[in-house]
Amino acid sequence: MNAIELSHIHKSFGEFAIQDLCLTVPSGTICGLVGENGAGKSTTIRLLMNALRPDGGIARVLGVDAASPEFREVKEDIGVVLDEAYYPETLTVVQVGKVMAGTYRRWDQGVYEGYLRRFDLPGKKPFKDFSRGMKMKLAIAVALSHQPKLLILDEATSGLDPIVRDEVLEIFNEFTREEDHSILISSHILSDLEKLCDYIAFLHQGRLLFCDEKDRLLETYGVFAGTAEQLESLREEAVLGREASGYGGVRALVRREEVPAGLELERASVEDIILFMVKGAKK
Amino acid sequence: MKALIQKDFYVIWKQMRIFVVIILLLSIMNSAFNIVFLVVWCSMLPYTAMAYDERSHWNQLAAMMPYSRRDVVLSKYVLGWLCMAAASILCLAARVVLGHFLENEVDTSIVLTSLCLGVISLDITLPAVMRFGVERGRMIFMVVIFGAALGAGVALDSVDIPSVPLPVMALLPLAAVVLTAVSIPLSMKLYQVN
Repeated sequence: MNAIELSHIHKSFGEFAIQDLCLTVPSGTICGLVGENGAGKSTTIRLLMNALRPDGGIARVLGVDAASPEFREVKEDIGVVLDEAYYPETLTVVQVGKVMAGTYRRWDQGVYEGYLRRFDLPGKKPFKDFSRGMKMKLAIAVALSHQPKLLILDEATSGLDPIVRDEVLEIFNEFTREEDHSILISSHILSDLEKLCDYIAFLHQGRLLFCDEKDRLLETYGVFAGTAEQLESLREEAVLGREASGYGGVRALVRREEVPAGLELERASVEDIILFMVKGAKK
Repeated sequence: MKALIQKDFYVIWKQMRIFVVIILLLSIMNSAFNIVFLVVWCSMLPYTAMAYDERSHWNQLAAMMPYSRRDVVLSKYVLGWLCMAAASILCLAARVVLGHFLENEVDTSIVLTSLCLGVISLDITLPAVMRFGVERGRMIFMVVIFGAALGAGVALDSVDIPSVPLPVMALLPLAAVVLTAVSIPLSMKLYQVN
């Protein structure tokens, strides 16, 4: 079963539109949603949680149409962390726990309290006095404490210090050890996604440029570093994006299978692939 | 829905404590206007909770949780009713206690009339606030609530309620029930995630 299936989703906001978005996240995998600010990542998340109605297309989450009345039941199985925590500022973490206990049928107070201790969150301090990192930790604790099968994380690791971020990534990894557990995570920290994800989906100006297995992406693309003349000698289809490097050289993202076998290429990171593709798309 | 009311209760708790003090102070004065003013004022407490929701963008998070649109909308009505009921009970209790010392009479019909007016105020103003948000809806509910409280309070002070014919008195609860039946579906239709 697929955890998420977006099929030909359209949503227009006038100047900006999500166009013909098709995205599949298989159950048991972690998919990283990448894109510039305003590319449509948060809109995609709102569409698949039925917080926004699409103009066309179907969103299915955990096998259920997000527009159907049954989807409310499915939300019990989805833990969501948005780009901000969005709890009313006067609440304390103890009060948040009580409210969530009344919200989710499978709320596990023991698990919640475990995360509060692990993240060192004070019980009686009002939410407004929390740092951004503390707010995000609270949102992550809530998302993980009602036995979800799917985590939807919108910039959930931003604002966390590197040590806590690493710990949170480990928690997300632990989460997917259950074979029916899946994660959709959007982030600007591409190194996190490279570490965590099985799939990478790249949104650019409301369109999905690709959604592929991370390992296949890393095998498919390489980084060429050399002179402009050497680059010009390659087939046009081989080069996806280029940039000037120091001393008159160039760097370019190329398809490995389209370049001569002897040509030496650097390993492309997910960040290289995304950045070169954005530059290529802008030309 | 219970969780949403609980969340609102936590949010407005500080303000509710101030209300209790004000109720006790105003109850010393034997005026129908005070009771109407207090009960109708309490019908505004859901807007305080909604203002906090708007400031924190809580509704965006709530849209991700297993709450229905009905839960979100109805919770604000129930919160208003609970606040008004609590204010009424406190007013009555204060008058009973103070009656021993100040010879104030306890007039339940004024409290019931106040409750009806509070419910009607909520019914009229909440759909607009659901649609436009607290900031933009504020003017509408200020005009309605203070107009209702002032008009009714002055009228009640000059009219001997027990002498008003029963069918006329029955119209107010009837209006409250009918308006509530219209207002809730309207609010659900107009509700927007801000």
